[in-house]
Amino acid sequence: MTRREATGIAAAAAVIVVTLVLPGALNTYYIRIITGIFMFGILASAWNLIGGYTGYPDFGGAAFIGIGAYTTGILMVRSHLPFAVALPAGCVLAAAAAGAMGALLLRLRGHYFAIATLGFMLVLRQLTANLEITGGGSGMNLPPASDFKIFYYWMLGGLVLAVLAGFALPRSRPGYAIAAIRENQDAAQVLGIEPLPYKILAYAANAFLFAAAGGIYAYWLTFIDPLTVFNIDFTVQAVVMAIFGGPGTVLGPVAGAVILKSLDAALTNVSLFLHNVFFGALVCALVIFAPRGLAELFQLRPGRSRVAALGASIREALQENRV
Amino acid sequence: MPLLVVTGVNKLFGRLAAVNGVDMAIEPGEIVGLIGPNGAGKSTLVNLITGIETPTAGRVEFAGSDITGRRPAAIARLGIARTFQIAQPFRNMSVRQNVAVPLLFRAGHASRVSDALRLADEVLETVGLGPKRDLPAQVLTTPDLRRLELAKAIALRPRLMLLDEVMAGLTPAETDAEMGLLRRMNAQGITLLVIEHVLRVVMGLCRRVVVLHHGAKIAEGPPAHVTADPAVVAAYLGPRHAAGRPSPS
Amino acid sequence: MDGTQISPSVQIALQNAVNGLLIGGTYATVGLGMSLVWGVLNVINIAHGAFVMLGAYTTYWLFTLYGIDPFVTLPVAGAALFVLGYGLQRVVVNQVIRASFLITFLLTFSFDLVVTNGALAVWTADVRAVTTAYSGRALHLGPVIVPAIRLMTLAAALVVALLLHLLMSRTRLGSAIRATASDQDAARLMGIPIAHVYAMTFAIALATAGIAGGLAGMSFPIYPAMGANYTFIGFVVCVLGGLGSVTGALIGGLIFGLLTTYAAGWLGPNYDYIVAFSALILVLLVRPAGLLGRTARFRG
Repeated sequence: MTRREATGIAAAAAVIVVTLVLPGALNTYYIRIITGIFMFGILASAWNLIGGYTGYPDFGGAAFIGIGAYTTGILMVRSHLPFAVALPAGCVLAAAAAGAMGALLLRLRGHYFAIATLGFMLVLRQLTANLEITGGGSGMNLPPASDFKIFYYWMLGGLVLAVLAGFALPRSRPGYAIAAIRENQDAAQVLGIEPLPYKILAYAANAFLFAAAGGIYAYWLTFIDPLTVFNIDFTVQAVVMAIFGGPGTVLGPVAGAVILKSLDAALTNVSLFLHNVFFGALVCALVIFAPRGLAELFQLRPGRSRVAALGASIREALQENRV
Repeated sequence: MPLLVVTGVNKLFGRLAAVNGVDMAIEPGEIVGLIGPNGAGKSTLVNLITGIETPTAGRVEFAGSDITGRRPAAIARLGIARTFQIAQPFRNMSVRQNVAVPLLFRAGHASRVSDALRLADEVLETVGLGPKRDLPAQVLTTPDLRRLELAKAIALRPRLMLLDEVMAGLTPAETDAEMGLLRRMNAQGITLLVIEHVLRVVMGLCRRVVVLHHGAKIAEGPPAHVTADPAVVAAYLGPRHAAGRPSPS
Repeated sequence: MDGTQISPSVQIALQNAVNGLLIGGTYATVGLGMSLVWGVLNVINIAHGAFVMLGAYTTYWLFTLYGIDPFVTLPVAGAALFVLGYGLQRVVVNQVIRASFLITFLLTFSFDLVVTNGALAVWTADVRAVTTAYSGRALHLGPVIVPAIRLMTLAAALVVALLLHLLMSRTRLGSAIRATASDQDAARLMGIPIAHVYAMTFAIALATAGIAGGLAGMSFPIYPAMGANYTFIGFVVCVLGGLGSVTGALIGGLIFGLLTTYAAGWLGPNYDYIVAFSALILVLLVRPAGLLGRTARFRG
């Protein structure tokens, strides 16, 4: 083990210990805020798998939040299954849906992929509103949890899973396929890579994690309706956080979520109605003044790590209109 | 039995025949040259063999099995490697990661990334890119990018390699080194189809040359023979020059 | 009318065709501006629907507060959005016009956030409608019923399309836009002020979005979050009609109108997205132009 790795593991252990004991020291308000930060950390890290590493900007992630939320809700309410069973079922269903839809959608590129994924989300929203088992447009109630702190821990678990996925993927064989496809699909194919299965893998992993966040969110909220969970804002915020923090890096999306969600919480205190307007203005300002995002600030020394360099290069590619 | 047999292959882009009824066979162990003026259809023919494009008509057989219209990845795993005329590196990956890609996905691939990276270092030594293995591919010079193309093709451990102008832009000394490398690869049993503009390379490497013009095969034979063919001269220099030469009659 | 009897199913099919074509005009107007911005600026404007929403509210307030006929308010909505569009493009969008589509996508998403949530804060989530004195009137043409207001919205949509077509094909501005769309660098060399042309393009597109909003408000409910639907409709219209021309958007809009109307007739009222999305995916998968992501160009 190198010194760098040892430091990394020690730091990660320290962070996990602190986050585990934190709820004991905080009041309800802060626990709620941090739970929200964890949730968006999951979403941004998950989006990073398909949008950052694979280069397919999914704008329909809320579709999987919805699948996760409704599957969890339906299994808990109608089948009386415990949350710990219902949630993974939602994740698996979302991954399966991503597999099926991905086989079609991942043949499209650029604008077409982005809008088609958005359309997929709108279709699921409408289907959900039409169905009876979901409670239709009027939504459904989930059984209340005994203690709101469990959501903190569930979201934390999801976040750890998402970060691990972001760490493991680029170091694995599928990760090499995904990187090669992102960089140059033709060149990847003539070297023996069949692109679609690997793109589907990244898309399904992204869906699994979105659904995890969605399922926990549903139980946390105790009430869901189509407009709440199939909500474009979730996707946009995840994308913004990932890009702001550094697409194609392991911790960048998490950092983006921490900073932007804290800011959002502060803005919500200023005005409940206008915080989304502020958020939009912030995104607009970011895109214009710092399109390479936050991670650029930390790119001080060249050759620090290959992963950091990759993130930098992806941002550069975004700037140069190559992605 | 020939390693590669191309029979009556056609490719239409709209009404334009980029490749028009080409027949070609390559025996195992050969080095065959593929020449022709710009736009003759050489790269399209390579695309048809490697599955990047699907032929409008005709048939491509490799090692006795029909590969017409199969997916590029499947064809690559069967043992056909290619380089692109314009180098297609994975720009934001390091040089050794670039070479690790085919090592991880060829038939009989390395199952672990660490193994692939170690094998990649060996391949990089062969093409002389060893010292640059940790650089991102996007900072390489043009000759180094061509070496990287070649390294990726070698790493696929192919039986047949289609080389699309790997010498372009090299100095004479570098060209000689590259020709030496191709000969060594050939000696190890890799069959080569070399698309090349540099005549010295074609003359030096190939026993047999196929000439394409306007998508059709206009000549085939030993290099010296083919370059003296009036049809070939006309294709390269225009009909007036050919007419100026003594006619066979 | 006369003694000829037609079967009810034929009558319903005819009525659906008429309804679809009538509402298709509104969809075409939504698609026009999106197609223009996409074709010329290579930007997918996610906020397009939000600007349609602003147009709808313009019409709604002028009608509700001052009793101005909604058709009279259309030019007002168009002009207001034109000014907004020019400023927005010149000051903001132009900063990132060369950046990757993900960046411009995010930027227009941020417009959508600001406009939609701003509208929500100012006008609340209440659902509103424009109901005129002649809203209930209809012409009876044989077996089919033609609602007067729908007929007028179709006529207005055709006028807008015709005007845009004339603008693109007959004016200096139109040829400058077309030149810029087909080759930006050549256009710059010819002395065309690119930034101004881009801003005018965006302004014209938003003007059509404003008018589309006025038209949509006469047929559909008005509420702050309505925009997302229209962005998606605009995109589907662009893909259905083939990208980058007035005629394309018109045809795409009419097809989309027919498609959703028939779908509503057969499946029920709440299947329009499902049908639109299916059509979109089908077209994208069989039309390689979409698959290859070829840049659309605006022909006028």
